[in-house]
Amino acid sequence: MVPTAYYIILSAALFTIGVLGVLIRRNAIVVFMSVELMLNAANLALVAFARERLNVDGQVLVFFVITVAAAEVAVGLALLVAIFRTKNTADVDEVSTLKG
Amino acid sequence: MFQITDIPRLLPEILLLVLALLVLGSDIFERWGRTPEAQLERVRSSASLTCIGLGLVFVIALLQSGYVFRLPDDVPANLFTNIIRNLQSGGPAGPTGAETLPPIIGAFATDHLTMIARLALIGAAFLTSLLCLDYRPNAHPAEFYALILFATAGMCLMAGATELVLAYLAVELTSIPLYILAGYFRNDARSAEAGMKYFLFGALSSGILLYGMSLAYGSAASAMAGAVTANDLTQLARIAELAGQGGAGGGVLTLGMLFVIAGVGYKIAVVPFHGWAPDVYQGAPTPITAFISTASKAAGFVLLLRLLVSAFPALAGSAALGPDLGGWTSLLALLALLTLLVGNLAALPQTSAKRLLAWSSVAQAGFMLLALVAWAAPQQFDRDQGVAALLYYLVVYTLTNLGAFGALAAVALAVGGDEIADLNGLARRHLPLAVLLTLCVLSLAGVPPLAGFFAKFYVFMAGWQAGAPWLVVVALATTVVSLYYYLRLLKAIFIEPPAENTPLTTPPGITAAVALAVAGIVVLGLFPNLVLNVFSRVQLVAGL
Repeated sequence: MVPTAYYIILSAALFTIGVLGVLIRRNAIVVFMSVELMLNAANLALVAFARERLNVDGQVLVFFVITVAAAEVAVGLALLVAIFRTKNTADVDEVSTLKG
Repeated sequence: MFQITDIPRLLPEILLLVLALLVLGSDIFERWGRTPEAQLERVRSSASLTCIGLGLVFVIALLQSGYVFRLPDDVPANLFTNIIRNLQSGGPAGPTGAETLPPIIGAFATDHLTMIARLALIGAAFLTSLLCLDYRPNAHPAEFYALILFATAGMCLMAGATELVLAYLAVELTSIPLYILAGYFRNDARSAEAGMKYFLFGALSSGILLYGMSLAYGSAASAMAGAVTANDLTQLARIAELAGQGGAGGGVLTLGMLFVIAGVGYKIAVVPFHGWAPDVYQGAPTPITAFISTASKAAGFVLLLRLLVSAFPALAGSAALGPDLGGWTSLLALLALLTLLVGNLAALPQTSAKRLLAWSSVAQAGFMLLALVAWAAPQQFDRDQGVAALLYYLVVYTLTNLGAFGALAAVALAVGGDEIADLNGLARRHLPLAVLLTLCVLSLAGVPPLAGFFAKFYVFMAGWQAGAPWLVVVALATTVVSLYYYLRLLKAIFIEPPAENTPLTTPPGITAAVALAVAGIVVLGLFPNLVLNVFSRVQLVAGL
């Protein structure tokens, strides 16, 4: 069996890539994908910990996370469409009338 | 185990969800006309149904809490007394009136903390729906009100969650409707932008929160030897217990705690996780701004308190300057310091009244963090005082900010803008509204005898007892700084000449909501013991 630590290191790497993607990339769609990567990194860690101890709690949480992530992205895409209709761009830096 | 008798304990949440479905259904199943009059009628019916429903839920929750009246044991049984008795046996005092029941399947505590938070949150939702009475949501008004109700149910669950799965789901049930509400006027560029920013930061924060939870769960799982048959590893109390047994998970647990603080830190908008707050508060429809800045923040604080105190008690540490500095209390003290400085200084140069209040809300979160720092105090009594101070501050802040943003909404509807210049000469154009707004602003600034003064006083006491006098000194200094920008608002209201001399008309719903909020501030300011007696019962919380 692959040691749990390997999974956790992979999940930490995925999480870091996700956070950097959210902070650095400017296209809203790519930012959404990075958020998904963060959530799935957490899912991987949960499943790995749960598998190690043959405990189901972590795996149950993962099912809820997958469902919630789908709902969240639906709302995010709807907001993006609303922005795109008025601004004709998916670049998050262009959406900045509120400042100060 | 979940038992049928647990249903009354969940009654406020169930009622909120039923009411939300009722509001949605009443709009869908009615055949509405296409004329403007029919549209207006449609908005009115959803709005008044929400208002009346929330008022009823609040009364039922108050009855269940037993804070104003507890049915004596020797009353003869009839239908009416039986209903009240069943209701109150599901309340925080339990069936006997003395002992708090353990959390439902270990996941949802119905103790005094949850009950007080529920009352504050449902009250905030009620005032918000009053503020929205005269707002015109577009094509489908029922969605707007149903989303407020769903978010309120989520906040109530957040306040009582003692388990990671429920905590995560409650955070999302609160956040997702609020993203939609912030961007609800999607043809208005400012509102759409606010929704987008709120969503992006919110999604980032829930990812961070979830990662923190996975690490906390992992450290609990690792601390167990061999295969785990019991399925309670996501319960906060269990995580704390397993962390106490030591093992290799110490570093992982600390990392998880940091991620949890960062994730919830976004929800309560403390520096450095506040980037979204001013933009979202300014861009969102004003009643929704009031709701996000009060109820969402209050629920976030209660959740943070529960998570830190129940799951990470061993990592509390100390906030006193010296060799013992460490743990989450010192981290919160640092966040409070940053929040107080950045929030108050950034509010100084603002020209938009709404954005000024947004920065002031950020700064207020700093004062509330001070009450959480009280957990560093060695005496349990001082910790309980800190929790009571936090709850008092939350209730007062909720009322005050709802009143202030509500008054701004009324001005914006009448004048057409929410700049400070739009408040010019308000006292000459609409004296009652000017007086109400002034009372709210003075309470935010902490001027006696309004409730804001006592809220700050108790919080400073809590910080002092926690051994962090340096933080209290900074907080006092920033309070003085904050007077400057609050007085700028008052100067515009009373001294500046108005652009026009015509009297303003304000919608009755908003006026009623603001008046209710201000009445609350004045009463709580004059008689703080009314609620403090109730808040000090929180020390009876199971597992806290």
